[in-house]
Amino acid sequence: MQTKYLSIAAVTLILGLLIGLQVRLLEVPQPSLSPDARISALSAELNELTKENKGLREEIVDLEEKVSIAQQGVEQAEAALRAEIEKHMVVAGLTKLIGPGVEVTLENVPGGDYIFAIRDEDLLRVVNELRAAEAEAIAINDQRLVASSEIRQAGPFINVNLERISPPYRIQAIGNPDKLRRELERPGGLVDTSRYLGVEVRIEVKEELVLPGYKGRPRLEFVRPLKEGV
Amino acid sequence: MAKYKFHWVLIVIGLVLGLMLSTQFRVQKEQIYAYNIERVRQLAQDVETAREEREALRARIQELRDELDKVAEESRHGNLRRELDNIRMQAGLLSVTGPGVEVVLNDSSTPTQPGQNPNLYVLHDEDLLRVINELRAAGAEALAINGERLVATSEIRCIGPAVVVNKDKRLAPPYTITAIGDPDTLIASLEMRDGVMATLKFWGIQVAVRRVPEAVVPAYTGKTMLDYGRPLFGEGGS
Repeated sequence: MQTKYLSIAAVTLILGLLIGLQVRLLEVPQPSLSPDARISALSAELNELTKENKGLREEIVDLEEKVSIAQQGVEQAEAALRAEIEKHMVVAGLTKLIGPGVEVTLENVPGGDYIFAIRDEDLLRVVNELRAAEAEAIAINDQRLVASSEIRQAGPFINVNLERISPPYRIQAIGNPDKLRRELERPGGLVDTSRYLGVEVRIEVKEELVLPGYKGRPRLEFVRPLKEGV
Repeated sequence: MAKYKFHWVLIVIGLVLGLMLSTQFRVQKEQIYAYNIERVRQLAQDVETAREEREALRARIQELRDELDKVAEESRHGNLRRELDNIRMQAGLLSVTGPGVEVVLNDSSTPTQPGQNPNLYVLHDEDLLRVINELRAAGAEALAINGERLVATSEIRCIGPAVVVNKDKRLAPPYTITAIGDPDTLIASLEMRDGVMATLKFWGIQVAVRRVPEAVVPAYTGKTMLDYGRPLFGEGGS
Protein backbone atom coordinates (compact mmCIF):
# COMPACT_ATOMS: atom_id res chain seq x y z
CA MET A 1 0.00 0.00 0.00
CA GLN A 2 2.82 2.41 0.95
CA THR A 3 4.62 1.94 -2.37
CA LYS A 4 1.37 2.62 -4.22
CA TYR A 5 1.02 6.03 -2.53
CA LEU A 6 4.65 6.78 -3.17
CA SER A 7 4.39 5.97 -6.85
CA ILE A 8 1.25 8.07 -7.23
CA ALA A 9 3.07 10.95 -5.54
CA ALA A 10 6.10 10.53 -7.81
CA VAL A 11 4.05 10.30 -10.99
CA THR A 12 1.99 13.38 -10.19
CA LEU A 13 5.09 15.32 -9.19
CA ILE A 14 6.70 14.54 -12.54
CA LEU A 15 3.46 15.35 -14.32
CA GLY A 16 3.36 18.73 -12.59
CA LEU A 17 6.95 19.45 -13.55
CA LEU A 18 6.27 18.48 -17.15
CA ILE A 19 3.20 20.67 -17.38
CA GLY A 20 5.06 23.55 -15.83
CA LEU A 21 8.01 23.23 -18.22
CA GLN A 22 5.69 22.82 -21.18
CA VAL A 23 3.93 26.06 -20.29
CA ARG A 24 7.32 27.76 -20.00
CA LEU A 25 8.37 26.58 -23.46
CA LEU A 26 5.12 27.80 -24.98
CA GLU A 27 5.33 31.14 -23.26
CA VAL A 28 8.93 32.19 -23.80
CA PRO A 29 10.18 31.97 -27.37
CA GLN A 30 13.92 31.31 -27.53
CA PRO A 31 15.93 34.47 -28.24
CA SER A 32 17.54 34.52 -31.70
CA LEU A 33 20.93 35.89 -30.73
CA SER A 34 22.27 34.97 -27.36
CA PRO A 35 23.05 37.98 -25.19
CA ASP A 36 26.47 36.44 -24.55
CA ALA A 37 27.55 37.08 -28.15
CA ARG A 38 26.43 40.69 -27.87
CA ILE A 39 28.24 41.07 -24.58
CA SER A 40 31.52 39.88 -26.04
CA ALA A 41 31.16 42.07 -29.16
CA LEU A 42 30.33 45.13 -27.08
CA SER A 43 33.08 44.59 -24.54
CA ALA A 44 35.61 44.20 -27.34
CA GLU A 45 34.46 47.49 -28.83
CA LEU A 46 34.50 49.22 -25.46
CA ASN A 47 38.01 47.96 -24.86
CA GLU A 48 39.24 49.41 -28.18
CA LEU A 49 37.49 52.71 -27.58
CA THR A 50 38.95 53.03 -24.09
CA LYS A 51 42.44 52.47 -25.49
CA GLU A 52 41.91 54.99 -28.27
CA ASN A 53 40.55 57.61 -25.87
CA LYS A 54 43.54 57.14 -23.59
CA GLY A 55 45.85 57.80 -26.54
CA LEU A 56 43.85 60.88 -27.55
CA ARG A 57 44.03 62.27 -24.02
CA GLU A 58 47.82 61.83 -24.03
CA GLU A 59 47.96 63.75 -27.29
CA ILE A 60 45.85 66.55 -25.79
CA VAL A 61 48.22 66.89 -22.81
CA ASP A 62 51.16 67.04 -25.22
CA LEU A 63 49.48 69.65 -27.44
CA GLU A 64 48.36 71.82 -24.54
CA GLU A 65 51.95 71.95 -23.34
CA LYS A 66 53.21 72.93 -26.79
CA VAL A 67 50.59 75.63 -27.22
CA SER A 68 51.40 77.18 -23.85
CA ILE A 69 55.14 77.12 -24.66
CA ALA A 70 54.55 78.55 -28.13
CA GLN A 71 52.66 81.50 -26.73
CA GLN A 72 55.67 82.64 -24.70
CA GLY A 73 57.61 84.10 -27.60
CA VAL A 74 58.96 83.69 -31.11
CA GLU A 75 61.81 81.35 -30.13
CA GLN A 76 59.59 79.21 -27.95
CA ALA A 77 57.08 79.01 -30.78
CA GLU A 78 59.78 77.73 -33.11
CA ALA A 79 60.83 75.07 -30.59
CA ALA A 80 57.23 73.96 -30.07
CA LEU A 81 56.61 73.75 -33.82
CA ARG A 82 59.80 71.77 -34.41
CA ALA A 83 58.77 69.36 -31.65
CA GLU A 84 55.37 68.93 -33.29
CA ILE A 85 56.99 68.32 -36.68
CA GLU A 86 59.22 65.65 -35.13
CA LYS A 87 56.23 64.00 -33.45
CA HIS A 88 54.40 63.77 -36.76
CA MET A 89 57.53 62.55 -38.55
CA VAL A 90 57.42 59.59 -36.17
CA VAL A 91 53.78 58.94 -37.08
CA ALA A 92 54.61 59.22 -40.78
CA GLY A 93 57.40 56.66 -40.39
CA LEU A 94 60.15 59.06 -41.43
CA THR A 95 62.40 58.44 -38.42
CA LYS A 96 64.27 55.47 -37.03
CA LEU A 97 62.29 53.68 -34.35
CA ILE A 98 63.62 51.51 -31.51
CA GLY A 99 61.49 49.16 -29.47
CA PRO A 100 60.49 45.62 -28.59
CA GLY A 101 58.61 43.45 -31.06
CA VAL A 102 58.82 40.41 -33.27
CA GLU A 103 60.85 39.39 -36.27
CA VAL A 104 59.17 37.08 -38.74
CA THR A 105 61.30 35.33 -41.33
CA LEU A 106 59.66 33.74 -44.36
CA GLU A 107 61.64 31.55 -46.65
CA ASN A 108 60.82 29.43 -49.67
CA VAL A 109 61.43 25.73 -49.18
CA PRO A 110 64.62 24.86 -51.11
CA GLY A 111 63.83 23.12 -54.36
CA GLY A 112 60.12 23.80 -53.87
CA ASP A 113 57.64 24.36 -56.65
CA TYR A 114 57.51 27.96 -57.80
CA ILE A 115 53.72 27.89 -57.45
CA PHE A 116 54.27 27.78 -53.74
CA ALA A 117 56.91 30.49 -53.69
CA ILE A 118 56.14 33.36 -51.35
CA ARG A 119 54.10 36.02 -53.12
CA ASP A 120 53.19 39.63 -52.41
CA GLU A 121 49.84 38.48 -51.04
CA ASP A 122 51.49 36.34 -48.39
CA LEU A 123 53.52 39.30 -47.16
CA LEU A 124 50.47 41.56 -47.32
CA ARG A 125 48.58 39.15 -45.11
CA VAL A 126 51.35 38.94 -42.52
CA VAL A 127 51.65 42.72 -42.45
CA ASN A 128 47.89 43.06 -42.04
CA GLU A 129 47.92 40.61 -39.12
CA LEU A 130 50.73 42.53 -37.44
CA ARG A 131 48.84 45.78 -37.92
CA ALA A 132 45.71 44.19 -36.44
CA ALA A 133 47.83 43.27 -33.41
CA GLU A 134 48.66 46.96 -33.02
CA ALA A 135 52.15 47.00 -34.47
CA GLU A 136 53.44 50.57 -34.22
CA ALA A 137 55.96 50.24 -37.05
CA ILE A 138 56.79 47.57 -39.63
CA ALA A 139 59.70 47.07 -42.01
CA ILE A 140 60.32 44.35 -44.60
CA ASN A 141 63.98 43.73 -45.41
CA ASP A 142 64.78 47.19 -44.05
CA GLN A 143 62.10 48.93 -46.11
CA ARG A 144 59.94 50.83 -43.65
CA LEU A 145 56.23 50.60 -44.41
CA VAL A 146 54.47 53.96 -44.53
CA ALA A 147 50.94 54.94 -45.56
CA SER A 148 51.83 54.87 -49.26
CA SER A 149 54.00 51.71 -49.23
CA GLU A 150 53.07 48.94 -51.63
CA ILE A 151 54.11 45.29 -51.46
CA ARG A 152 53.90 44.17 -55.03
CA GLN A 153 54.80 41.24 -57.16
CA ALA A 154 56.92 42.21 -60.17
CA GLY A 155 57.65 39.01 -62.04
CA PRO A 156 59.59 36.69 -59.74
CA PHE A 157 60.44 39.56 -57.41
CA ILE A 158 58.60 41.60 -54.83
CA ASN A 159 58.86 45.38 -54.68
CA VAL A 160 58.40 47.39 -51.52
CA ASN A 161 58.62 51.19 -51.72
CA LEU A 162 59.61 50.65 -55.38
CA GLU A 163 62.73 48.78 -54.20
CA ARG A 164 63.28 45.14 -55.06
CA ILE A 165 63.54 42.82 -52.08
CA SER A 166 64.45 39.15 -52.22
CA PRO A 167 63.96 36.12 -49.96
CA PRO A 168 64.38 35.35 -47.15
CA TYR A 169 61.82 37.99 -46.23
CA ARG A 170 62.45 39.49 -42.80
CA ILE A 171 59.43 41.33 -41.43
CA GLN A 172 60.15 43.33 -38.28
CA ALA A 173 57.37 44.85 -36.21
CA ILE A 174 57.58 47.02 -33.10
CA GLY A 175 54.76 46.63 -30.62
CA ASN A 176 53.62 44.36 -27.79
CA PRO A 177 55.68 41.21 -28.56
CA ASP A 178 53.24 38.74 -26.98
CA LYS A 179 50.27 40.24 -28.74
CA LEU A 180 52.05 40.24 -32.09
CA ARG A 181 53.15 36.63 -31.71
CA ARG A 182 49.73 35.46 -30.52
CA GLU A 183 48.06 36.99 -33.57
CA LEU A 184 50.40 35.17 -35.95
CA GLU A 185 50.02 31.88 -34.11
CA ARG A 186 46.24 31.90 -33.82
CA PRO A 187 44.27 29.28 -35.77
CA GLY A 188 43.85 30.49 -39.35
CA GLY A 189 46.75 32.88 -38.87
CA LEU A 190 50.10 33.03 -40.64
CA VAL A 191 51.70 29.98 -39.04
CA ASP A 192 48.61 27.91 -39.69
CA THR A 193 48.20 28.79 -43.36
CA SER A 194 51.89 28.77 -44.24
CA ARG A 195 52.20 25.21 -43.04
CA TYR A 196 50.24 23.88 -45.98
CA LEU A 197 51.74 26.36 -48.39
CA GLY A 198 55.13 24.82 -47.73
CA VAL A 199 56.73 28.05 -46.61
CA GLU A 200 59.22 28.13 -43.78
CA VAL A 201 58.22 30.56 -41.07
CA ARG A 202 60.24 31.61 -38.06
CA ILE A 203 58.90 33.98 -35.42
CA GLU A 204 61.32 35.48 -32.94
CA VAL A 205 60.47 37.80 -30.09
CA LYS A 206 63.01 40.63 -29.87
CA GLU A 207 63.64 42.88 -26.92
CA GLU A 208 65.00 45.60 -29.11
CA LEU A 209 64.47 46.12 -32.80
CA VAL A 210 65.73 49.12 -34.75
CA LEU A 211 63.59 49.97 -37.75
CA PRO A 212 64.92 52.40 -40.35
CA GLY A 213 62.92 55.45 -41.38
CA TYR A 214 61.27 55.65 -44.80
CA LYS A 215 63.87 56.83 -47.28
CA GLY A 216 61.69 57.21 -50.37
CA ARG A 217 60.42 60.36 -51.93
CA PRO A 218 57.41 61.90 -50.17
CA ARG A 219 54.28 61.64 -52.30
CA LEU A 220 52.75 65.10 -52.32
CA GLU A 221 52.15 65.77 -55.99
CA PHE A 222 48.37 65.59 -56.14
CA VAL A 223 47.22 66.12 -52.57
CA ARG A 224 46.68 69.45 -50.91
CA PRO A 225 45.19 70.36 -47.55
CA LEU A 226 41.41 70.45 -47.68
CA LYS A 227 41.35 73.61 -45.65
CA GLU A 228 43.73 76.15 -47.19
CA GLY A 229 45.20 77.85 -44.15
CA VAL A 230 48.20 79.60 -45.68
CA MET B 1 -14.39 6.31 -0.06
CA ALA B 2 -11.96 7.76 2.47
CA LYS B 3 -9.15 5.91 0.81
CA TYR B 4 -10.00 7.45 -2.60
CA LYS B 5 -10.07 10.94 -1.10
CA PHE B 6 -6.61 10.35 0.20
CA HIS B 7 -5.48 9.47 -3.34
CA TRP B 8 -6.86 12.71 -4.66
CA VAL B 9 -5.12 14.73 -1.99
CA LEU B 10 -1.80 13.11 -2.92
CA ILE B 11 -2.36 13.80 -6.61
CA VAL B 12 -3.22 17.43 -6.04
CA ILE B 13 -0.27 18.02 -3.72
CA GLY B 14 2.08 16.33 -6.17
CA LEU B 15 0.83 18.43 -9.09
CA VAL B 16 1.03 21.69 -7.17
CA LEU B 17 4.52 20.88 -5.94
CA GLY B 18 5.67 20.01 -9.48
CA LEU B 19 4.24 23.21 -10.91
CA MET B 20 5.85 25.23 -8.15
CA LEU B 21 9.22 23.65 -8.75
CA SER B 22 9.13 24.26 -12.51
CA THR B 23 7.93 27.82 -12.02
CA GLN B 24 10.81 28.39 -9.67
CA PHE B 25 13.23 27.03 -12.27
CA ARG B 26 11.71 29.22 -14.95
CA VAL B 27 11.91 32.37 -12.85
CA GLN B 28 15.54 31.69 -12.13
CA LYS B 29 16.36 31.22 -15.82
CA GLU B 30 14.54 34.40 -16.69
CA GLN B 31 16.47 36.23 -14.04
CA ILE B 32 19.74 35.12 -15.61
CA TYR B 33 18.43 36.15 -19.00
CA ALA B 34 17.19 39.49 -17.72
CA TYR B 35 20.51 40.01 -16.01
CA ASN B 36 22.31 39.46 -19.33
CA ILE B 37 19.99 41.86 -21.13
CA GLU B 38 20.70 44.40 -18.43
CA ARG B 39 24.43 43.90 -18.99
CA VAL B 40 24.04 44.34 -22.75
CA ARG B 41 22.12 47.55 -22.17
CA GLN B 42 24.73 48.82 -19.75
CA LEU B 43 27.59 47.93 -22.11
CA ALA B 44 25.86 49.52 -25.09
CA GLN B 45 25.48 52.66 -23.04
CA ASP B 46 29.16 52.60 -22.05
CA VAL B 47 30.15 52.18 -25.70
CA GLU B 48 27.97 55.15 -26.62
CA THR B 49 29.53 57.27 -23.87
CA ALA B 50 33.03 56.26 -24.98
CA ARG B 51 32.16 57.23 -28.58
CA GLU B 52 30.90 60.61 -27.49
CA GLU B 53 34.04 61.11 -25.44
CA ARG B 54 36.13 60.19 -28.49
CA GLU B 55 34.38 62.85 -30.56
CA ALA B 56 35.00 65.46 -27.86
CA LEU B 57 38.68 64.49 -27.58
CA ARG B 58 39.11 64.65 -31.37
CA ALA B 59 37.53 68.09 -31.48
CA ARG B 60 39.86 69.26 -28.71
CA ILE B 61 42.92 67.92 -30.59
CA GLN B 62 41.85 69.74 -33.75
CA GLU B 63 41.31 72.93 -31.75
CA LEU B 64 44.81 72.70 -30.23
CA ARG B 65 46.44 71.97 -33.60
CA ASP B 66 44.68 74.98 -35.11
CA GLU B 67 45.86 77.07 -32.20
CA LEU B 68 49.46 75.95 -32.73
CA ASP B 69 49.12 76.79 -36.44
CA LYS B 70 47.83 80.24 -35.55
CA VAL B 71 50.80 80.86 -33.28
CA ALA B 72 53.07 79.73 -36.13
CA GLU B 73 51.51 82.30 -38.46
CA GLU B 74 51.61 85.09 -35.93
CA SER B 75 55.24 84.50 -34.99
CA ARG B 76 56.29 84.52 -38.67
CA HIS B 77 57.00 80.81 -38.76
CA GLY B 78 54.96 80.32 -41.90
CA ASN B 79 57.67 78.08 -43.35
CA LEU B 80 57.53 75.77 -40.33
CA ARG B 81 53.78 75.72 -40.62
CA ARG B 82 54.04 74.53 -44.23
CA GLU B 83 56.61 71.92 -43.25
CA LEU B 84 54.26 70.74 -40.53
CA ASP B 85 51.40 70.48 -43.04
CA ASN B 86 53.59 68.44 -45.40
CA ILE B 87 54.56 66.03 -42.65
CA ARG B 88 50.94 65.81 -41.50
CA MET B 89 49.82 64.97 -45.03
CA GLN B 90 52.36 62.16 -45.19
CA ALA B 91 51.32 60.89 -41.77
CA GLY B 92 47.64 61.06 -42.74
CA LEU B 93 46.81 63.58 -40.01
CA LEU B 94 45.40 66.23 -42.32
CA SER B 95 42.21 66.12 -44.39
CA VAL B 96 43.27 66.40 -48.01
CA THR B 97 41.74 66.88 -51.42
CA GLY B 98 42.87 66.39 -54.99
CA PRO B 99 42.15 64.48 -58.18
CA GLY B 100 41.70 60.75 -57.86
CA VAL B 101 39.39 57.78 -58.14
CA GLU B 102 36.62 56.12 -56.22
CA VAL B 103 36.31 52.33 -56.22
CA VAL B 104 33.02 50.84 -55.04
CA LEU B 105 32.97 47.16 -54.11
CA ASN B 106 30.14 44.88 -53.12
CA ASP B 107 29.46 41.18 -52.73
CA SER B 108 28.62 39.05 -55.74
CA SER B 109 25.16 39.64 -57.17
CA THR B 110 24.90 36.25 -58.88
CA PRO B 111 23.05 33.70 -56.79
CA THR B 112 25.20 30.72 -55.77
CA GLN B 113 24.34 27.41 -57.34
CA PRO B 114 23.80 24.44 -55.04
CA GLY B 115 27.11 22.78 -54.31
CA GLN B 116 29.11 25.94 -54.82
CA ASN B 117 30.97 27.44 -51.93
CA PRO B 118 29.22 30.77 -51.25
CA ASN B 119 32.32 31.95 -49.41
CA LEU B 120 34.10 32.29 -52.75
CA TYR B 121 31.60 34.88 -53.94
CA VAL B 122 31.66 37.29 -51.04
CA LEU B 123 34.06 40.12 -50.61
CA HIS B 124 36.94 39.34 -48.25
CA ASP B 125 39.32 41.60 -46.38
CA GLU B 126 42.05 40.31 -48.67
CA ASP B 127 40.22 41.62 -51.74
CA LEU B 128 40.10 45.07 -50.20
CA LEU B 129 43.77 44.78 -49.22
CA ARG B 130 44.68 43.91 -52.80
CA VAL B 131 42.76 46.81 -54.31
CA ILE B 132 44.40 49.18 -51.83
CA ASN B 133 47.83 47.68 -52.46
CA GLU B 134 47.33 48.13 -56.20
CA LEU B 135 46.36 51.77 -55.69
CA ARG B 136 49.45 52.31 -53.53
CA ALA B 137 51.62 50.72 -56.21
CA ALA B 138 50.07 53.13 -58.73
CA GLY B 139 51.18 56.10 -56.65
CA ALA B 140 48.13 56.86 -54.51
CA GLU B 141 49.04 59.65 -52.09
CA ALA B 142 46.09 59.40 -49.72
CA LEU B 143 43.59 56.58 -49.20
CA ALA B 144 40.37 56.08 -47.31
CA ILE B 145 37.77 53.34 -47.11
CA ASN B 146 34.23 54.42 -46.26
CA GLY B 147 35.69 57.67 -44.96
CA GLU B 148 38.32 56.04 -42.73
CA ARG B 149 41.83 57.24 -43.57
CA LEU B 150 44.36 54.48 -44.13
CA VAL B 151 47.73 55.17 -42.54
CA ALA B 152 50.90 53.13 -42.00
CA THR B 153 49.38 51.19 -39.11
CA SER B 154 45.88 50.63 -40.58
CA GLU B 155 44.64 47.08 -40.81
CA ILE B 156 41.59 45.75 -42.67
CA ARG B 157 39.86 42.79 -41.09
CA CYS B 158 36.62 40.88 -41.60
CA ILE B 159 34.89 40.28 -38.29
CA GLY B 160 31.68 38.43 -38.96
CA PRO B 161 29.73 40.34 -41.60
CA ALA B 162 31.50 43.64 -40.92
CA VAL B 163 34.88 45.02 -41.91
CA VAL B 164 36.91 46.64 -39.17
CA VAL B 165 39.66 49.18 -39.90
CA ASN B 166 41.83 51.32 -37.63
CA LYS B 167 41.10 49.00 -34.67
CA ASP B 168 37.55 50.09 -33.82
CA LYS B 169 35.87 51.52 -36.92
CA ARG B 170 33.20 49.14 -38.18
CA LEU B 171 32.27 49.47 -41.84
CA ALA B 172 29.34 47.98 -43.73
CA PRO B 173 29.07 47.23 -47.47
CA PRO B 174 29.20 48.67 -50.06
CA TYR B 175 32.85 49.59 -49.55
CA THR B 176 34.02 52.79 -51.17
CA ILE B 177 37.76 53.26 -51.49
CA THR B 178 38.83 56.82 -52.24
CA ALA B 179 42.34 57.42 -53.57
CA ILE B 180 44.07 60.68 -54.43
CA GLY B 181 46.69 60.51 -57.16
CA ASP B 182 47.04 60.54 -60.93
CA PRO B 183 43.58 59.26 -62.01
CA ASP B 184 44.86 57.77 -65.29
CA THR B 185 47.60 55.74 -63.60
CA LEU B 186 45.27 54.62 -60.82
CA ILE B 187 42.55 53.44 -63.22
CA ALA B 188 45.03 51.80 -65.60
CA SER B 189 46.61 49.76 -62.83
CA LEU B 190 43.25 48.50 -61.55
CA GLU B 191 42.00 47.64 -65.03
CA MET B 192 45.21 45.93 -66.12
CA ARG B 193 44.72 42.62 -67.93
CA ASP B 194 44.56 39.84 -65.33
CA GLY B 195 44.72 42.60 -62.76
CA VAL B 196 42.87 42.93 -59.52
CA MET B 197 39.57 44.00 -61.08
CA ALA B 198 39.56 41.11 -63.51
CA THR B 199 40.09 38.67 -60.65
CA LEU B 200 37.29 40.19 -58.59
CA LYS B 201 34.91 40.18 -61.53
CA PHE B 202 35.70 36.50 -62.12
CA TRP B 203 34.15 35.78 -58.73
CA GLY B 204 31.19 37.98 -59.59
CA ILE B 205 32.13 40.64 -57.08
CA GLN B 206 30.73 44.01 -58.07
CA VAL B 207 33.46 46.57 -58.73
CA ALA B 208 33.05 50.02 -60.21
CA VAL B 209 35.75 52.65 -60.64
CA ARG B 210 35.15 56.26 -61.38
CA ARG B 211 37.29 59.34 -61.75
CA VAL B 212 36.78 62.06 -59.16
CA PRO B 213 38.17 65.52 -59.96
CA GLU B 214 38.07 66.68 -56.34
CA ALA B 215 38.27 63.63 -54.11
CA VAL B 216 38.28 64.22 -50.38
CA VAL B 217 40.20 62.01 -47.95
CA PRO B 218 39.60 62.85 -44.28
CA ALA B 219 42.32 62.89 -41.62
CA TYR B 220 43.18 59.89 -39.46
CA THR B 221 41.66 60.43 -36.06
CA GLY B 222 42.94 57.46 -34.07
CA LYS B 223 45.68 57.49 -31.51
CA THR B 224 49.17 58.47 -32.61
CA MET B 225 51.15 58.28 -29.37
CA LEU B 226 53.41 55.23 -29.20
CA ASP B 227 53.55 52.83 -26.26
CA TYR B 228 56.50 50.69 -27.39
CA GLY B 229 58.57 52.50 -30.03
CA ARG B 230 61.02 55.32 -29.31
CA PRO B 231 62.16 57.55 -32.17
CA LEU B 232 65.80 58.15 -32.98
CA PHE B 233 66.34 61.47 -34.71
CA GLY B 234 69.30 62.57 -36.73
CA GLU B 235 70.30 59.28 -38.29
CA GLY B 236 68.28 57.35 -40.84
CA GLY B 237 65.08 58.79 -42.22
CA SER B 238 65.02 61.54 -44.79
